[in-house]
Amino acid sequence: MKKNILTGILGIVSALVVGLIILFIQGYPAVESYRQLFNYSILSRFSFFSTLAKAAPLILTGLSAAVGFGSNVVNLGQVGQLLIGAMSVTVVGLFINLPAVIMIPILLLTAVISGALYSGLAAYLRVKFNMDEFITTLMLNFVAQYFTLYLITGPLIDKEMNSPMTQQINSSGWLPMLNSLETTIFISIIISLLIYFIWHNTKMGYEWKVMGSNNTFALFGGVKIDKNYVRVMLISGALAGLAGAMLIMGGLQHRFLKGIGANYGWDGVMTAVVANNSIIGTVIYGLFFAVLQTGSMGMELETAVPSEFVLILQAITVLFVVASRKSAYLLLNKMSIILKIRQLRSGGEPEENELDD
Amino acid sequence: MVEALIEIDSLVKIYPPSTIAVKDFDLKINTGEIHSVIGENGAGKSTLMKMIYGLTERSSGKIKINNRDVKFTSPQQAVKYGIGMVHQEFMLIPSYTVFENIILGVEPTSKLGIIEKKEAEKKIKDLIKQYNFNLKLKSKISEISVAAQQKVEILKLLYRDVDVLILDEPTAVLTPQEIEDLFLRLKKLRYEGRTIIFISHKLDEVLELSDVITVMRKGEKITTLENNNLGKAELAKAMVGRDVIFSIDKTKANLGDVIFSAVNLNYKDANGIQQLEDVSLQINSGEILGVAGVEGNGQYELVRAISGLLDLDYGEIKIKNKNIEDLDILKRRREMAYVTQDRKFMGSAQDLNLMENSIMTHHRLNDELSYYHPVLLSKSASIKFADNLINKFKVISESSKQPISSLSGGNQQRLIVGREFMLSDQFIMLDNPTRGLDVGSIEFIQEEIINKRDKGAAVLLVSADLDELFSLADRLLVMHSGKVVFNTDTARTNKEEIGQYMLGAEMSDSA
Repeated sequence: MKKNILTGILGIVSALVVGLIILFIQGYPAVESYRQLFNYSILSRFSFFSTLAKAAPLILTGLSAAVGFGSNVVNLGQVGQLLIGAMSVTVVGLFINLPAVIMIPILLLTAVISGALYSGLAAYLRVKFNMDEFITTLMLNFVAQYFTLYLITGPLIDKEMNSPMTQQINSSGWLPMLNSLETTIFISIIISLLIYFIWHNTKMGYEWKVMGSNNTFALFGGVKIDKNYVRVMLISGALAGLAGAMLIMGGLQHRFLKGIGANYGWDGVMTAVVANNSIIGTVIYGLFFAVLQTGSMGMELETAVPSEFVLILQAITVLFVVASRKSAYLLLNKMSIILKIRQLRSGGEPEENELDD
Repeated sequence: MVEALIEIDSLVKIYPPSTIAVKDFDLKINTGEIHSVIGENGAGKSTLMKMIYGLTERSSGKIKINNRDVKFTSPQQAVKYGIGMVHQEFMLIPSYTVFENIILGVEPTSKLGIIEKKEAEKKIKDLIKQYNFNLKLKSKISEISVAAQQKVEILKLLYRDVDVLILDEPTAVLTPQEIEDLFLRLKKLRYEGRTIIFISHKLDEVLELSDVITVMRKGEKITTLENNNLGKAELAKAMVGRDVIFSIDKTKANLGDVIFSAVNLNYKDANGIQQLEDVSLQINSGEILGVAGVEGNGQYELVRAISGLLDLDYGEIKIKNKNIEDLDILKRRREMAYVTQDRKFMGSAQDLNLMENSIMTHHRLNDELSYYHPVLLSKSASIKFADNLINKFKVISESSKQPISSLSGGNQQRLIVGREFMLSDQFIMLDNPTRGLDVGSIEFIQEEIINKRDKGAAVLLVSADLDELFSLADRLLVMHSGKVVFNTDTARTNKEEIGQYMLGAEMSDSA
């Protein structure tokens, strides 16, 4: 745990330093750009709130990937599950209008169920036909992309707009603002706590963790692998679907636009990988990437550094965090070997308490 | 004194973070001798050899071959220097033929890159004839016996003209008769001037075969002795570091009712091979039934069928008069303890900690691990459970929160055996429970097995180690080609007879 925090900080700091050097070489005002990056993401109330709004769906897709990968279930379908979740919320929100107290839970539930059904399709293919979810979820992403595109260019198109999108959903389904803070972040935090609790305090969570570490051991110990596999798949899909709901019910648009949520799916996978599938880690890295993405707009505005620079920064962070995890390990090993040999050579007999091996 | 062929000077290997596998090791190996390196499992024999062979990087020290400093980074380099190794696990491609496996990597090719078979075939055939190997070039590896596969491994090295053969525990997979055969061949090789390094932990074999014996313990060289008039007890003491009792205290079995019975188990695998054929067995309370057999003759299928890991085509399994053949794995685990043959890949999750490895299966069966509600898992109860297990089975560890991979093999196995033994007192199934462990852990686990028996458990013990079967089992079965070919009281048979049955009457090397 301590080592994770250390390598995490090490990775982030070295990534930021490398980013600084890149900016400098490119001839941009490097320090000023960084200042603006953080200025527009955490240093004022408004910017901090936008960062949180960005983080809300990202944390959910991150959890979706983390729960899957951590249980040896390679769900790579966050993109598709998110789109299906968002589209289902849009459809229900367009055609049903109830008081907000009922409407909001109904829409959230819709997203959860539709996301789960969509990942459940891949789970079914795996359990019934032994098709690898890693392939099927990827393929289903395309299906979801073109299916939703069809809906917003055809049956659900808002004809008054000049680009493909639906109409706004009924306002009773909009998540309220709390002093200009979007409430989506609260939903994400509650869900994170819930997932953390399941992962660490239930028998099911224990079984998932064991499956993630050694499926055969779990099987031999009597864990019902197929049943758990389906459960993880459904939960993973539900989380991504819920991220889709955040995009429609939160924010300002409240409609399904072309290209909505384009990055959240893969950024979620990235977040889980960087966090090594830890639940807390996913929340923290989700926030960090949200900071970068939100701040990049301000940076572009103030210092003309293209906001795409943040993509480079993200990539470097991923590489450094993952690499420092491994290299810190190797480095520590190398050091302990050298120390041990020195100890041997100096004649200082090391402790004789190893009873075997 | 003659110049040593291989000279090792203060060699050290440390596995991170701080396990010393080999410690300041000096060794001289001369041309034309059979030099045995003996030591307990985990003494560092294999690590030492892997360093010589270029498979493992040394941490410090020197290796000289023909008085030249060498530092191999791959086995290919070692082979160039005339050193070859036969590993415990064979490095053969099952779907390739004997011929293809032998030439793999050193194919004689024409300028156009086409394999020129004739020359190679002749060379191999000559070798086969010279050493009386009884192998057919066209047989597929997957279709020949383990002993024959080992011959292919040796042939592979001879084809590459190596002068030094390192054999790592070559007898572990062989029957007594096949071991004799191997020894004759090794002696012939030595006679022709080749050098053989023989790794083993079996004293009898080492005494029979070697010219020089080096004893290794905890990574250190204890002594190197010429093999004349050496006594087994003295060698064992050097190896283990204390007096060793060669037999286990065991009272006569006190049989009770039939606890476990299996009737006519039949199983055909996906390739249509009959892995189990009409296997029937019965175990009473207070009895240990040993199952012997060359590996791959249905023992593993039998164990898996009983635990519910494979679906039988036909057959009936009962524990205490209750049919279990249609129950799922978890429901069967309620009635039985099961120690799997492979602690790393089946018996534990290496990344997880001792607590998480202790509560497997118990988490569903033991109500004390729940917390308010059966879906919840209590952290504190789990830790308490694990600590109790660690205490009871003398698992040497610092905390139940350390990963199981940080423990030695013996301690890992104590934890696994403890976990399983706490599951059931009535039926216990053990698949090679002491394979690859240090003597201390072997003794401890074997004593626990006998304790369980004396408390009235029915024990099914599958083992590739005949010594273990003879010291523990009250009754022995031999499996061959998926069938039970022999069933006897342990007291009424001997290893040679069991070995005969293990080989099967119709079995031959080239089959």
